[in-house]
Amino acid sequence: MQFKLPDELTRNVLFWIQEKRWLLIIVFLGTLMYHLPYPDSISYAGYRTLILGLIVISLIITETVPLPAVALLIAVLEVAFHIAPAAEVAKTYMNDSVFFIMGSLMMAVAIVHQGLDTRLAFGIIKLTGNQVKHIVLGFTCIAALLSSFIGEHTVVAMMLPVGLSLVRNCSKQKPIPNLTALILFSIAYGSTVGSIGTPSGGARNAIMLEYWRTITDSGITLTYFQWIIMAYPLVIVGMLGTTFILQMVFKPEIQRMDTAIRRLKIQVAHKGNITGNEFLTIIIFIIVFLCWIFLNERFGLGIIAIGGAFIYLATGLVDWKQVSNNTNWGVILLFAGVISLGVQMKNTGTALWIGNSIMGQFSPLIDEFSIIPYIFNIFLTTLLSNIMSSSGTVAVLGPIMLNMGGEPLYMGMTTAISSAFGYFSAIAAPACMIIYSSGLVKITDFLKAGWRMAIMSIITLLIIHKFYWPFIISYTNFK
Amino acid sequence: MKFLIAIKNTDDESKNILDVGCKIAEGFSADLTICYVGKKSKSLIEGDVNLARLSMAEWNIYHPGLEVLKWAFNILKNKGFAPETSFVVENLVEENGRIRLVLPETTNYQIRLVLREGQLLSELNQEVKQGKFDIAIIGSPRRKRMAQKMIQFLNTSIFYVKNFNPNWNYKILLCVDDSQATKRAVIFSAQISKQFSADITSLTVSKTSFFGKGYRNAHIWAERYLIRKEIPFESKLLNGNPVEVFVKEAGVDHIIIMGKAKGNEIIKFIFGSKPIHTAQQANCPVLLVN
Repeated sequence: MQFKLPDELTRNVLFWIQEKRWLLIIVFLGTLMYHLPYPDSISYAGYRTLILGLIVISLIITETVPLPAVALLIAVLEVAFHIAPAAEVAKTYMNDSVFFIMGSLMMAVAIVHQGLDTRLAFGIIKLTGNQVKHIVLGFTCIAALLSSFIGEHTVVAMMLPVGLSLVRNCSKQKPIPNLTALILFSIAYGSTVGSIGTPSGGARNAIMLEYWRTITDSGITLTYFQWIIMAYPLVIVGMLGTTFILQMVFKPEIQRMDTAIRRLKIQVAHKGNITGNEFLTIIIFIIVFLCWIFLNERFGLGIIAIGGAFIYLATGLVDWKQVSNNTNWGVILLFAGVISLGVQMKNTGTALWIGNSIMGQFSPLIDEFSIIPYIFNIFLTTLLSNIMSSSGTVAVLGPIMLNMGGEPLYMGMTTAISSAFGYFSAIAAPACMIIYSSGLVKITDFLKAGWRMAIMSIITLLIIHKFYWPFIISYTNFK
Repeated sequence: MKFLIAIKNTDDESKNILDVGCKIAEGFSADLTICYVGKKSKSLIEGDVNLARLSMAEWNIYHPGLEVLKWAFNILKNKGFAPETSFVVENLVEENGRIRLVLPETTNYQIRLVLREGQLLSELNQEVKQGKFDIAIIGSPRRKRMAQKMIQFLNTSIFYVKNFNPNWNYKILLCVDDSQATKRAVIFSAQISKQFSADITSLTVSKTSFFGKGYRNAHIWAERYLIRKEIPFESKLLNGNPVEVFVKEAGVDHIIIMGKAKGNEIIKFIFGSKPIHTAQQANCPVLLVN
């Protein structure tokens, strides 16, 4: 008797295979690599960490399993591959950076929940007036300055509604594709450019601080203020450059937005005077910010951030339910897992081996031009951040880049900064995703403005790396 | 019966899909589910995107998918399909990994508006499994491979609204062979013919000059059924490559109706099938009956 699978079962199996094809390929290649003989120049544990690293990067890019599951897999395989004992793995999962990411995400929920966006809208309008060029400059600069301190995700949540309302009010009169792109990109790119300015600008900066502390031999510790000194010139050049580039690429259909601004004013006027809760929200954030500057060496950025989140909860400015529902716990878990993997890459010598292997290919060139590792770093980080988001890029590339042969402080800073160069795709940053999914801007708009933004950012970064950082370092005791 | 209409935006193509879907649903007195599948953010930034969307909702700026559903709802309302109520976002409920707008029950047609996020094929497959739909009415995918996957994996009849021109009087090309689904295709085409006042061309194609018993019986059965239903039709028996003949005979002014093949699923996945190739190559709307 011939055995035949029912059609529906076969169809379901085939569907599962095509849905999970990347997972199957990753499992197959991982198993194959596991059983292949490994090079003499790397240790047994190091080789297995390398396999785990490749598996993790592939799983994050393809998203074939939920991201929190990747974090769980890291812990399981670190122990199963005899990379580290269970107790050590557990220890590496929780550190100040994870606290910092957790705290800042929770604070973002509290700040956004207060509805400070209407105040912000009112402030921007007052500051910029009705002229398009002033509005674009205002949006870019305010998005950049705010995202430096309260984080890109918070600024995006507060400023995008303002931008989208303005665009809507304006498009009622006639189609304005260029003006729409101009205003929305000024917020999206402005917040991206600003997010490199301080450690609290984005999760990736906090991750890099942790990698410096745990992965580099000398254990580099950079304070909040030192980071500002190193990165802020880039923010200033970036926000002015962004305004110029965007106005050059998207020539607005109208030069003044009188009606739209009037409508927006009516929209936000009903809010009345600033409330006690709003005032308290701002005061608490200012306290947290001051603590980050003055007390971070004593307490750590993470403890201060979760302290801020505690105060928001304790004062009743936000409910735990709101925080719990709107905080992406899966991402926190993933970063914890990836940082743990980064630490093991250092402990097992994998990061050094990868760095040496890659740079070995360019050694004659590096002897001539010491800037090669930095250019390679910028290229790889920019590429990956356009594929799998900026924070994920720093988390997976950080340990490797710190072992690529350049000065670890500069290499780390270059990685953290160039991970913000995800201008080409909609997936690198939340603001880009939202403006793209709104249907108001096309993917070609990202390319049109993106390549100019990338060139401007890369040239600025290289100049600052070559002249400004050595100058600053020679006058301070950063290391 | 239950029909699923998948739309991607508010452009003319989506409007055509809605028009055709409504017209066919009317003929079958079917319930309609309008589904929008939006692009999902990368998981790493999903939390940030959701936080921004929460803030935007305070400004009455909703998920772009809701704007599309609102547009579809207004079209349905104008056609008399949807109840005389407004599109109220407060009536959105999240259930089974999707967002649905709760609308009051109507005596004629039940309308459902559904918002999903993720991969098109995966989300439509889940929707079809949950809703047990009789037909999924969708725009034709640009990629041929996607068209094949949809036909194979969506366990329902599929109507690809391809190059549809609302100003044309479409005729029906009924492709008859010895497959199990042919009878159902004949019944569907009779119903749709009445709805569109369209003549039917019943076409059986053999690769050789000889027509097997199965083909001849199917052809005769189709003729008898159409006569019984008093549908004007023309009957043809042709030789040649079936897919090429179907596509050539259909041109751009027919709606092709044929049964879904029931062959080996693995072979279909690798090499495709007659209905799959027809749907990929045709320049007109194609209905593949499950």
